[in-house]
Amino acid sequence: MILVGELSLWVALLMATWGATVSFAGGRLGRSDLVASGERALYATFAFVALASIGLWTALLTSDFSLRFVASYTSANLPAVYKFSAFWGGQAGSMLFWCLVLSLYSAIAMFANRRSNRELMPYVTGTLATILVFFLATTVFRANPYSRLDWIPPDGTGLNPQLQNPGMAFHPPNLYLGYVATSIPFAFAIAALVTRRLDAEWLGAVRRWSLVSWLFLTIGITMGMWWAYVELGWGGYWAWDPVENASLLPWLTGTAFLHSIMIQEKRGMLRKWNVTLVVATFLLAILGTFITRSGVIESVHSFARSEIGSWFAAFLVASIAVTAFLVATRLKDLEARAELESMVSREAAFLYNNVVLVGIAFSVLWGTLFPIISEAVRGSKITVGAPFFNTVNIPLGLLLLGLTGVGPLIAWRRASVANLKRQFAAPVAGGLVVGAALFALGMRDGYALVSYTLAGFVATTIGQEFVKGVGARRRMHNEAVPVAFNRLIGRNRRRYGGYIVHFGVVVLFAAFAGLAFKKEYDLSLSPGASFSAVDPYNRTWTFTSQGVSRYEELNRQVTAVVLEAKRAGMNPTLIKSEKRQHVDSRGVPTFEPSTEVGILESLRQDVYLVLHGVSGEETAEIRITFNPLVWWVWYGGIIMALGGLVVMWPQATRAGAKRRAEGGYVVVMQPSERPRVEAGV
Amino acid sequence: MASRREFVTALGTALVAAASRGVWAQQGAETPGATMQGDGYIPVRRLPRSAFAAKRLTPLERDAVERMLACPCPCTLDVFTCRTSMPCGFSPRLHADVMQLANGGYSADEILAAFEQAYGEKILMAPHKQGFNWVGWIAPFAAVGGGALVAAAFIRQWGRRAAEHRTTAPVPVEATDDEMARLEAAIRGEDR
Repeated sequence: MILVGELSLWVALLMATWGATVSFAGGRLGRSDLVASGERALYATFAFVALASIGLWTALLTSDFSLRFVASYTSANLPAVYKFSAFWGGQAGSMLFWCLVLSLYSAIAMFANRRSNRELMPYVTGTLATILVFFLATTVFRANPYSRLDWIPPDGTGLNPQLQNPGMAFHPPNLYLGYVATSIPFAFAIAALVTRRLDAEWLGAVRRWSLVSWLFLTIGITMGMWWAYVELGWGGYWAWDPVENASLLPWLTGTAFLHSIMIQEKRGMLRKWNVTLVVATFLLAILGTFITRSGVIESVHSFARSEIGSWFAAFLVASIAVTAFLVATRLKDLEARAELESMVSREAAFLYNNVVLVGIAFSVLWGTLFPIISEAVRGSKITVGAPFFNTVNIPLGLLLLGLTGVGPLIAWRRASVANLKRQFAAPVAGGLVVGAALFALGMRDGYALVSYTLAGFVATTIGQEFVKGVGARRRMHNEAVPVAFNRLIGRNRRRYGGYIVHFGVVVLFAAFAGLAFKKEYDLSLSPGASFSAVDPYNRTWTFTSQGVSRYEELNRQVTAVVLEAKRAGMNPTLIKSEKRQHVDSRGVPTFEPSTEVGILESLRQDVYLVLHGVSGEETAEIRITFNPLVWWVWYGGIIMALGGLVVMWPQATRAGAKRRAEGGYVVVMQPSERPRVEAGV
Repeated sequence: MASRREFVTALGTALVAAASRGVWAQQGAETPGATMQGDGYIPVRRLPRSAFAAKRLTPLERDAVERMLACPCPCTLDVFTCRTSMPCGFSPRLHADVMQLANGGYSADEILAAFEQAYGEKILMAPHKQGFNWVGWIAPFAAVGGGALVAAAFIRQWGRRAAEHRTTAPVPVEATDDEMARLEAAIRGEDR
């Protein structure tokens, strides 16, 4: 199976090369037989990449240490689940995984469009096959997971202990699924530019793929934060590491596109901008991969560093050049079909939202690359870390949060003063009440106060939209509240799914603001000794050491400390933190010791215990952190993902009714029927 | 009983030490013997100041100093966070240097300056707000502000053009008057 997998990788490269060649040729010459051959080649590419992947998984699970990749990232005593996830734990395997996902997506895109978008498909196929050729060639020639060692070691090096966490089994695949999905909209954009079919047709095809990308990136980023929080042991979930930043960039531009696409669908505007966003999202995904793997920027994710950076740089430059040429030669075809009428309109609010989203993306990219720029200009190195990103992005993030609440309140085209007063009254009041209440309760942190005030404003906006929609349905259809609520969402998934996403954003910002009230204590505790600490809610906790224990587990030697945590009104609870020394099957240490944190979780706060080390025989050096509202970060991510699913879910069609989707409002235009606007009704 | 030679040697050593202490106390940020070791670690050590020279940093203030220092390993974390969570070969040694300086009576600014002198500006978690660094600090806000101004200018221009189109040249559309009226009503009425 391993040999079959190795050969399959080469065949897949040949298939993708054939697919790219005949698809472009077929499109250019108008030969449907070549186009069909190109599509079949892409299906075959997927089959062969799948075989290559099965081969590598077989090698990993059977511990075939003759393969350099298997010996480098697994050991005989590694639990099977981590042998499976080691596939994407190293450079070569993650490249093959990228190829697998891209070929799968390509095959799905071919199948979904076998009867639609036929004028675009030759170029869509050609573009996707070209991207596949690049990734397969890089895998085969630069990062081949099937490269062999000259000798067979008795055991492998093992997987980095920090990757031996359930989060790492899901976080990287989700990110890859998100990154790779940006390829499909990019391919459609290239096809639309080449064929000059730049109407709304190509947008319809890419919208769902953009949502797929956005959804997986959202899940992947949230899971990455969770993994960093439970595994790395520094008490936070976002460190503005270059690789973390790289995942945020396509998410930000993708989010901007999902907003601005509505303006093109509804008003035929922002056509150049939308093409730019689609292309930028793909290029930023590639740039992120380049940053992750080239080593040009230092990162905690250096386990995936190698020599493929120059290949990615070349691919990036070529992609930019081709796209810039196509856009420059088709500017006339990208002229807007309508014009924005007023500064106070929903279109304008969306435009400002786009400016802020892209501005944040720029600031993240700028901060990530500024050390290189500074070194080139001044000749001296600098570090751009969390203080810079927080200083720059917190105000921009709060501006974005405010716009999240403003957009839905303003009418399309032009809002009247009366409309604004009516729409804004309750949300503004809601925000002010939240802010004033927190101030009265003693909150004095400026950013936190602004954040919660804006969160109150946006939450009231969303609530108001749902209340109006449900009320309208009840009046018109005499439905019970739950039925009306359910149908409200079901009949207009884009709009109300979007509001669910916005609510997730509110929850996230509320959780982020909670960090302002984090409290930390560093202490040494011998067995039986106690320590009292006050949490951010002014409650006193007592922590008593139950002693330090040392024992062995499957592939590690463990030193653990157990604390009894007590506070008034709560039963005593034990928390355990470990220091782990991973060893191979012969008991030889494989990595530096790692920390396993102990977390006492609740909705209000986490009590986060980290064992730094042991002094003497049994005195534990520990840190206790009270992290308020951390769980709301995960809930915020889950709510956003659920909202994304609601938006993506196919809209049911009613028999006999011809609908026109107009920016989230469905207008029935049958002459025989009375016009009905389904503004969530 | 010490011999004359031992007495002179001891006196000389004491004078040199006293002079050195005075120089370090004046210069504050200088780093004697800051030599790069094989792995990139540079010791940042000072002779302690007089017990009355300065107020000692509290543990929290000392931690705050460590949060402003970047760990030289690729973790991209600050020294405090790195040493307390995923310690590398650097952060515990940098912590020891910070402790030594803090216990020696040096202020937070002096400690940061000492590290910067030894390692360069790279050791700080964020660049100074001076010179070319201002470009780094201002560019994101300038980009968003500039973007907002450009968007506003476009909207104004489009609005003017749309108004002209409305008054002078109605755009022909392929829809009946009835359909257009219903569509207009639908769009206008969406927020009612």
